[in-house]
Amino acid sequence: MTQRRSLNLKLVVSVLTAFILSMAFTWFLHSRLSERDAYKLIDRTFESAEDEIIDCVDVRLVLQCMAARERIDDGYPLDTESLQALAKELHVTEISVANPDGDITYSSVPDYLAAPGKPAFNFRTAGGKAEDMMCLVTGPETEYCQPYRSNTANGAWRKFVGVWRPSAGGFVEIGCDGESLRGLSRSSIIDLFRNWRVGGTGGIVVTTATGLILSDYEEPNREGSLWTDPGDSFYWKRKEIEGFPVYVMVPKDSAAVQRDVLVGATAALNGAALVFVALLVGFVISAFVRQQLRIQSAKELEMAKDIQLAALPNVFPPFPDEPRVDIWAAMDTAKEVGGDFYDFYFTSQDHILFLVADVSGKGVPAAMFMMRAKTLIKSIAQTGKPLARVFEEANDALCEGNSSNTFVTVWAGVINRHTGHVTYVNAGHNPPVVMRGGKAEYLKSRPSLVLGAMPGVPYHVSEIQLEPGDSIYMYTDGIVEQPNASGELYGEDRLLKMLGDGTRKRAAVLNAVIDDMRRYATGVEQADDCTQLVLCYRGDPETFSGKYRPTMEDLAKASADLETALVQVPDACKNRLMVAADEIFANIVRYSGATDWTMTVERTRYPDGVRLVLTDDGKPFDPLAHRDPDTTLCAEERAVGGLGILIVKKTMSPVTYRRHSGRNILTIGSDYGNQDKK
Amino acid sequence: MEIKTKNEGTKLTISVSGRVDTVTAPEFEAGLKFGDATCVVIDLENVPYMSSAGLRLLLTAHKTMLASGGELQIANVQPSVKEVLDITGFSDILNLV
Repeated sequence: MTQRRSLNLKLVVSVLTAFILSMAFTWFLHSRLSERDAYKLIDRTFESAEDEIIDCVDVRLVLQCMAARERIDDGYPLDTESLQALAKELHVTEISVANPDGDITYSSVPDYLAAPGKPAFNFRTAGGKAEDMMCLVTGPETEYCQPYRSNTANGAWRKFVGVWRPSAGGFVEIGCDGESLRGLSRSSIIDLFRNWRVGGTGGIVVTTATGLILSDYEEPNREGSLWTDPGDSFYWKRKEIEGFPVYVMVPKDSAAVQRDVLVGATAALNGAALVFVALLVGFVISAFVRQQLRIQSAKELEMAKDIQLAALPNVFPPFPDEPRVDIWAAMDTAKEVGGDFYDFYFTSQDHILFLVADVSGKGVPAAMFMMRAKTLIKSIAQTGKPLARVFEEANDALCEGNSSNTFVTVWAGVINRHTGHVTYVNAGHNPPVVMRGGKAEYLKSRPSLVLGAMPGVPYHVSEIQLEPGDSIYMYTDGIVEQPNASGELYGEDRLLKMLGDGTRKRAAVLNAVIDDMRRYATGVEQADDCTQLVLCYRGDPETFSGKYRPTMEDLAKASADLETALVQVPDACKNRLMVAADEIFANIVRYSGATDWTMTVERTRYPDGVRLVLTDDGKPFDPLAHRDPDTTLCAEERAVGGLGILIVKKTMSPVTYRRHSGRNILTIGSDYGNQDKK
Repeated sequence: MEIKTKNEGTKLTISVSGRVDTVTAPEFEAGLKFGDATCVVIDLENVPYMSSAGLRLLLTAHKTMLASGGELQIANVQPSVKEVLDITGFSDILNLV
């Protein structure tokens, strides 16, 4: 869960970072774009402002020039001093009069006039821009304005304007310096720019050459004060037009309005997209994590099941040297791990404990409780304490720290292997079935409390005397509580009927019950673990023992002894045993180097069977460890070595070998009673 | 163990009674004299069982007859003996009739 939360946090942080980065980039991009747009706007404004100013100044100066022409045509004196006075009166810098040839005939500027050794200034021959003024003589222009520029003659800045003089031919020209220009056109320029808006809230400021503000947008009260650069909150540019310093300025925040709208819209869209992507990614990741967790927990359950199964004894028959008591058990696990178990072991030389148990609940906790209960019961039982005491101590131990209130039902019995007497305790478990003489019935007894529920509880011991041939069948409720397709349970009656068919023995019973239950529940998944254990009491075997020397005479004697011991055994089984025994006798006498050897014959019942135990003090020899000869070769290639052991292994079951106290001990068995039923 | 032989020209029939094991194998071996018979029949009708000691003798007899160009037949094999012959693969080698 903590992992999930930290994953979510990481996800949110990554998404936020991506969002902020993308917004910062958009902001930066749009800032650059709006700055570029603002300067484009400023440049365009300058272009039209320049045209307007030039028009405005031109009109004003042409009027002034016409005024000069009118005065001159009316007979104003044309000497230099008079013209200088007229220039002053008209607020222009200079006045000149040219004849049709382009010669300046009169002027307020003496330098333009002819003097000794120097001709008058001639527009036609002066070259440069001056020649353009000749259009007034040649036509069709009647007024002509030159831009404000540096004079080619003396480098002073002037704007020249000329008007045709129809009365005398030629023309009158006036020239204005910056101050005169500004003086003449100031008011019209102020009117021009005062209400000129640039990009909504921007505008134009015009100043004098010395920086005094002539025209200001929106803030007329600033006019007359000194211009200062507007600083960082404006995009602005300065340009001098017709002698006027002109400033076009656009407030940055007004230029940024568009950017803010764009960025805002982008932020909203991006935010929505990122939230959607984050949700999607979160969903995909959490689905993936959930799947991984499922796989993991399935693996853990599988492991728990394996550990559980591995903890149960699984070698059958469990006590090959004990002919009186026979135990078979099986656990068929359901898909989900449960808490079933069975167990059996000697608690003293004469007593064998056997039990079946079922832990409440399922899953890993049940499996762990099962391991604890199993180990606990075994460790207490093997101290040799009476069964009731074993249960009381195990119960007290299981109650300790059992906060989950898990408990376990147990049916356990202890059989005296010589007498068949069984004492048993039932701690809340299903009663077992006793099979006797082809009949089956439940072994009812006063049940005690389950283990692990409450400490200090007493456990009642009951007892039953088993006769040779009797069996006790124990099981867990997974069998009787398995439902079929219509939801009806397999039930105890069906189980009893199944067990009452006395033709089956031991392991065959276990398989038959499971098969019958599965047939009953065809198409339905197994609901719970099904655990079964059957104990058969076979009683004391008839035994014969003999001791022999390694000679052919004794071999013949042993063979005869065996034939006598097997007199009641059916021929087929007897013949097999005689052949197998002969192979082993021959091996001992010929190859073992033994000084003596023994044979024990045990004839057991329920089911009928024979066990031969052969011991010798010869060199260690495990016949089971030898490889079988190749029985597929043709006659020429065949040897006879090893065939004897092969025959023993193929005809006898079980065959076990061990080396003990310097003797080879070979046990061979044949349960002909069981084989005949197959 | 009892062994009877019946000679019909080149055909020799050897009838055995009693088990064949380590104890009786020498007796059985002594009875397996074929002379110049080209067809030998060993009748095991009265042999209840046979251990590998007997198998060895049957294999030797079979190889001897093959070498001399003759034939060995094993007749009337009882179930217990058949089982041992099957386990050891001798059923495939010997002529069981």
